[in-house]
Amino acid sequence: MIASLQRIRLIAANTFLEAVRQKFFSALLLISVGLIFSASFFQQFDFGTNELKFIIDFGFGAIFFFGSILAIAVMAQLFFNEIDSRTALTLLSKPVHRSEFLIGKFVGTQFLLLIFVFVLSLVLVAILFWRESILLSRFGNEARLDALLHYYDIFIFAGVQWVRFCVIGAFTLLICSFAKTYVYTLVTSLFVLIVCQLQYIAHEMYAQMDIGPVRLLVQLVSWTFPNFQLFNVGDQLVLVGSSSLSNAAIIHIIGYGCIYVITYIFLAYNNFRRREI
Amino acid sequence: MNDTAIQIKGITKDFISGFRGVKLRAIEDIHLEVANNEIYGLLGPNGSGKSTTIKIVLGLLRASKGTCHIYGQPSHAMSVRKSIGYLPEAPYFHSYLSGYELVRYYARICGLDRKIVNQRVDDSIELVGMQEAKNRLVGTYSKGMLQRIGLAQALVHDPKLVILDEPTAGVDPMGAEAVADIIRTLKDRGKTVLICSHLLGQIEDLCDRVAILHRGQLIRSGRVDDLLQQTDRESYIVKNFNADGRVAMKKVIEEQGGRLTNIEKPRRSLNELFLKEVELSESTHLKKGNKETK
Repeated sequence: MIASLQRIRLIAANTFLEAVRQKFFSALLLISVGLIFSASFFQQFDFGTNELKFIIDFGFGAIFFFGSILAIAVMAQLFFNEIDSRTALTLLSKPVHRSEFLIGKFVGTQFLLLIFVFVLSLVLVAILFWRESILLSRFGNEARLDALLHYYDIFIFAGVQWVRFCVIGAFTLLICSFAKTYVYTLVTSLFVLIVCQLQYIAHEMYAQMDIGPVRLLVQLVSWTFPNFQLFNVGDQLVLVGSSSLSNAAIIHIIGYGCIYVITYIFLAYNNFRRREI
Repeated sequence: MNDTAIQIKGITKDFISGFRGVKLRAIEDIHLEVANNEIYGLLGPNGSGKSTTIKIVLGLLRASKGTCHIYGQPSHAMSVRKSIGYLPEAPYFHSYLSGYELVRYYARICGLDRKIVNQRVDDSIELVGMQEAKNRLVGTYSKGMLQRIGLAQALVHDPKLVILDEPTAGVDPMGAEAVADIIRTLKDRGKTVLICSHLLGQIEDLCDRVAILHRGQLIRSGRVDDLLQQTDRESYIVKNFNADGRVAMKKVIEEQGGRLTNIEKPRRSLNELFLKEVELSESTHLKKGNKETK
């Protein structure tokens, strides 16, 4: 068990190193930081809340959009790099189980995304803090404002987003496990991402349907793909005055994501163990 | 200790392709035994099933029929891979790592202890003669260097069985000779080597036994000497022999019931000539350099 964890750690560390040294990651990180920073220049001010809300929406949008692209592209690229260049052949000829290879790849990629999310959240917090201080000093007395945001909860939100990226990474890995090309994986994963974003429609549909095969089919779709709307809890967490989110609700969302991650990785392993390298 | 390194009994491998599940037979009913501490050559044209056989030996593929054992254990058992070192054909490694980092990575993957890992990495890099380039990025290596660092990663965990798939493909004759020297060293150290190569001259010089695959079937196998020797003929290499002597010898041969079929001058191989000439030129160049510095 310890030896297995050690091998996963080594594969993950190597995957992380490979990902960090790719220009794609650095470029995307810089673009995202730049985008969040540029939000502060869109100054639509109305009693101190609209501008900050705008920056928050902009920042969270950038984290989700670029994080999703990164989760799909990096996972698919690092997987196919190993397969196409046949470094996987050398690695799997060593005492490495195929599940260790998959989990190592997944962990390495998700560690990269964790850093990505953390850096963007830090930038967002810095910009919000800067703008909030200006707003409070300018209008604080007039509007009787104390603090407008829960800064700590921005990191909790970032953690929830990271779990969402883990789910995206896991279903990309599942597609990688049977796909023959990088492009196919990329396109299919983006399609699945859209389905997950719209999954709530299926969820609402089957709730109103009578029991029957169509309801079963719609229900099956809603089980197969996670509901990504559940992860959109930014406003509830961060804005003072919004209906707050309990710890139990956060744990529920994280648990929901983890179940999908484990299921997708298990299915990916089931495909990959029979794949010819 | 098990005297048989690899034991393949009647393996067949079918690949299923397409939606209709068409079977493509890659190898059929192969029987093969590689003894401990021998160099065994696997020969065959492209598509003959060499790579499929190697992948089954490595446990990367499961045979559709038959069994494959490595030192008495099924080849797909993960524990057996600790005793195998593998150099793939035209190896490509993580270009962002240095040679040293790469060998160290594989050493750690193989479970070598932290205390001995650095020593083992140094030893295997020294064995393949890559000390000077070990800190350079793998992406900057030539083909020959890639083969050698590939050999180092295959040997770093001190495996009993070494499998080399085209170890000299794309390597110049001097590099190929260096690789051949390493393979001889491995045999001296008690290792078993299974080698796939298209360079038949090298296989002939190196291997104790060979097997020839064609269209997925084993068509010939045995000791190199047994396969190549023409047992009903003999050759004598004679120095300073004149025409009269040749006539007299022919007469004697015919009197004894034999028949002289061919007279030819012994030839060196082109490989031998090339290595000798390059070595000579190199030493002349070195001498010149020494004189100039004096």
